[in-house]
Amino acid sequence: MRARLAVAGALVVGVVATALLARARVAIVLVVCEALFAALAALWVSPSWRAAHPVGTRLAQTVMTVDALGVASAFVSTSVNGNLEAGVSMTIVLLGLSFLTGSSGQISLGHGAFMGVGAFAAAIWANHHAHSPVVIALLAAVVAGAAVGFLLGLPATRLRGPYLAGMTLAFAVAFGSILNAFSSWTGGDSGLQLPTAVSAPRWLVDLLPPSDSPLAAATVWLSQISLVVAGVALFAMSNLFASRVGRSMRLVRDHDVAAELAGVSLPRARVVAFVISAAYAALGGALSTLVNNSVSPATYGFALSITILALMVIGGIGTIPGAMIGGLIFAYSTSSISWITARLGLNPQGNLASQLNGIIFGVLLVGAIVAAPMGIAGAGRQVARRWRERHHLRAD
Amino acid sequence: MNAFLTSRPVSDVLTGVTNGVIYALVALSLVLIWRSARLLNFAQGAMAMIATYVGFVAIAPHANYWVAMVVSVVAGCLIGALTERGLVRWLYGKPELNPVVAMVGFLLVLESVAAAIWSTSSRGLPSSFSPIDWQLGGRPLALSPFAAYEIVTALVVMGFIAGIFRFTKLGLRLRAAALAPEVSRLLGVRVNRMLTIGWILSSGVGAVTAVLVASNYFTGLTPTAMDGVFAFGFIAAAIGGLDSPGGALASGVTLGIVLQFVSDYVNANDVILVALGLLIVSLMVRPNGVFTRDAQRRV
Amino acid sequence: MIGVESLSVAYGAVQALREVTFEAPPGRITAVLGANGAGKTTLLRTISGLVAPREGRVHLGGETLTGRAPEEIVRLGVAHVPEGRGVIGEFTVEENLRLGAMIRREPAGPLLEEQYALFPVLGERRRQGAVTLSGGERQMLAMARALIARPRVLLLDEPSLGLAPMVTAQLMHSIRDLCASRELTVILVEQNAKSALRIADTAVVLYLGRVVANAPAEEVARDERLRQYYLGMVES
Repeated sequence: MRARLAVAGALVVGVVATALLARARVAIVLVVCEALFAALAALWVSPSWRAAHPVGTRLAQTVMTVDALGVASAFVSTSVNGNLEAGVSMTIVLLGLSFLTGSSGQISLGHGAFMGVGAFAAAIWANHHAHSPVVIALLAAVVAGAAVGFLLGLPATRLRGPYLAGMTLAFAVAFGSILNAFSSWTGGDSGLQLPTAVSAPRWLVDLLPPSDSPLAAATVWLSQISLVVAGVALFAMSNLFASRVGRSMRLVRDHDVAAELAGVSLPRARVVAFVISAAYAALGGALSTLVNNSVSPATYGFALSITILALMVIGGIGTIPGAMIGGLIFAYSTSSISWITARLGLNPQGNLASQLNGIIFGVLLVGAIVAAPMGIAGAGRQVARRWRERHHLRAD
Repeated sequence: MNAFLTSRPVSDVLTGVTNGVIYALVALSLVLIWRSARLLNFAQGAMAMIATYVGFVAIAPHANYWVAMVVSVVAGCLIGALTERGLVRWLYGKPELNPVVAMVGFLLVLESVAAAIWSTSSRGLPSSFSPIDWQLGGRPLALSPFAAYEIVTALVVMGFIAGIFRFTKLGLRLRAAALAPEVSRLLGVRVNRMLTIGWILSSGVGAVTAVLVASNYFTGLTPTAMDGVFAFGFIAAAIGGLDSPGGALASGVTLGIVLQFVSDYVNANDVILVALGLLIVSLMVRPNGVFTRDAQRRV
Repeated sequence: MIGVESLSVAYGAVQALREVTFEAPPGRITAVLGANGAGKTTLLRTISGLVAPREGRVHLGGETLTGRAPEEIVRLGVAHVPEGRGVIGEFTVEENLRLGAMIRREPAGPLLEEQYALFPVLGERRRQGAVTLSGGERQMLAMARALIARPRVLLLDEPSLGLAPMVTAQLMHSIRDLCASRELTVILVEQNAKSALRIADTAVVLYLGRVVANAPAEEVARDERLRQYYLGMVES
């Protein structure tokens, strides 16, 4: 019943939207997108189908999210698209950190630097292979991130939490000097520009209203790329969380002695978690290079690493919704803070206004870890569970 | 003799020791807390930096250098006690990740607040020690009055802490509370008070360190002045063993010397890379530190 | 006179002690016996303040101890030598003793000498690390460290654990002497019922957190039922 309702609803929305937009080609694309969404939604709302096809469920969820956000991106302003892209890149990074912490109980204070590894790897690749497709540059970033993650993850075979955290902190603090040590590749303090800006393909430009500038079309196109990349990353991560690897890693986190008895190779599980996590951070960084069309070492300082940690904790450690919430917060943090600055009547160039970001994130981070260590996602789950329990009681 | 003292290797050793005593102080400050509370204080550098601002900028901006230094150290001790009572108390008995995250958040708050109040521009402290190297037979000895002052102060602080721990009743209680908290309580040691005192001592050492770092003519005091120093201090402490004060001091000074040779003979930019490499290798070989006795992990 | 009154302790859902009541008079040894998991260690930990009871109270000479922190209770004269002795291996013998003397206001020197006179082997090894001592010597150090604060009550948790029978016999003998010469109240928790009953005046037998017997030691030693079911003493 609910399934049919969902399909019908989606189709109605599609028809209305199509009617509003009188251009035929746009209508066709929209109807295709809506039909895809409705078909997946129809499957997804059936509990028995979800129980029988866990992988299919995760795929449907991912495609639906990408589909909906992709369509929406064509109708929103350039600045909203910019926020969307920033949020999506950060979500990928947070997925990586969340996997590391949530499933193996390790922590990294250097994910800003891992992000930087990916950002620079993508830029270096693009500068040396000007005509290779975007995907290849992203893959190069992932490989670079995984390699650096492996090097730094090696001690994870023998170390526990605080030592490892300190080591990643040292890496984050050192990252600027490391970039400088390879300045012939990385461009030193000034960073790198991409040789060519990403521009929207012909078909997308034709679809968008003719009044849109080429820049706006490119922004929409970048949103689409970001969403698809994030979709792939999200789908892989949701399977990883649910897989044997993910389960065994949660075992490592909660009882490492028990895990060893159960036959999980502890050192390997820890290093693998580290490598995957660093690769995700690098992918997020590469995507932001693509979006900004340039990369600067100043972006990837220690402050970014702490911000990433704060976003993960505030969103919710070790959960996929938590990573998405963190990404959303990141996307709107700059504009929220300038809103607060204006509201408080602060001088936007003043000391306090420029430090507001750090103060707010720091206070939220400390507050969250003391008062609500499971973050917004954890709190939300608790509320939902309580609501469901009450619902059940009434039904009985 | 003069030619030997001004030769390149001796100069490197002298410069290395000057840097190394600072790393050793940071390491000592970290070890003091780690031993008693199993907590790595990532906000150590930021707390010390705030203490220096309080002493030299907020309370005693026009005072004599030594007066301001004493004010800074007192402020540091107070910040340590407040942090332990106000923040860290909430984290005992939680998963080991929580204190790490909380202290990192605290670090961010402290650095941002310091920058909001005192701006990010650098301030010089009125140190009366010249940063210009002494001359020996017309050639510079890699040691200035300021460097000598740093080394002497560091030695005094280390001696003071060692004296407390070795020769006083308080030191005996502090060590007992760290090694065997429950037994210590049964013998009448107020373990909670010992934890607070540990934080006070650690933050006092930190404040002296930050004053020394900020007194450097070339760097001055900024909200992030301690970040790099903290990273090297942590590396020294982790290599030496977070459980071993002596190990932390030895590895701090050694690290300073090794890195100075790297900086001189290889490249100044590679220093942090080499430090990171040393950390990784030493942790792989001896996860509990080079200077600690092997202990069985408790299951 | 130290005593407990209908003391109940629970760890979560697990009830460790149920309404335990008894008194231990000065100058006497009260043995607390029972199998593993009977609640003996929990009883001592509750008396010394490490564990908070759910109900009931601990009293010493009319004063209530319940609700006070362990570091305060020891100042009132209750010394607890924990299971496994709690000797700090990283300290020297003398440092261990000095730690014990810390709550006394007088200078530590004469107090140390007094203990060295009582346990000469500790005097010989005063500069050695406690980690180098044998099991029996560690037990002596733990007792000396408790006695140096001149307690009124001595709580001993399994002092014979891991000791050879000869050493155990000697140890029990010195506990007897100490108790008599200093009007000390001794509460002796033992799994080794045989050697404890040999020196005890009274025996309290615990079974699953309940007192199943509280009688003079000779009576408990003669009671075939207690010996078999609760103390696991098969041959005599």
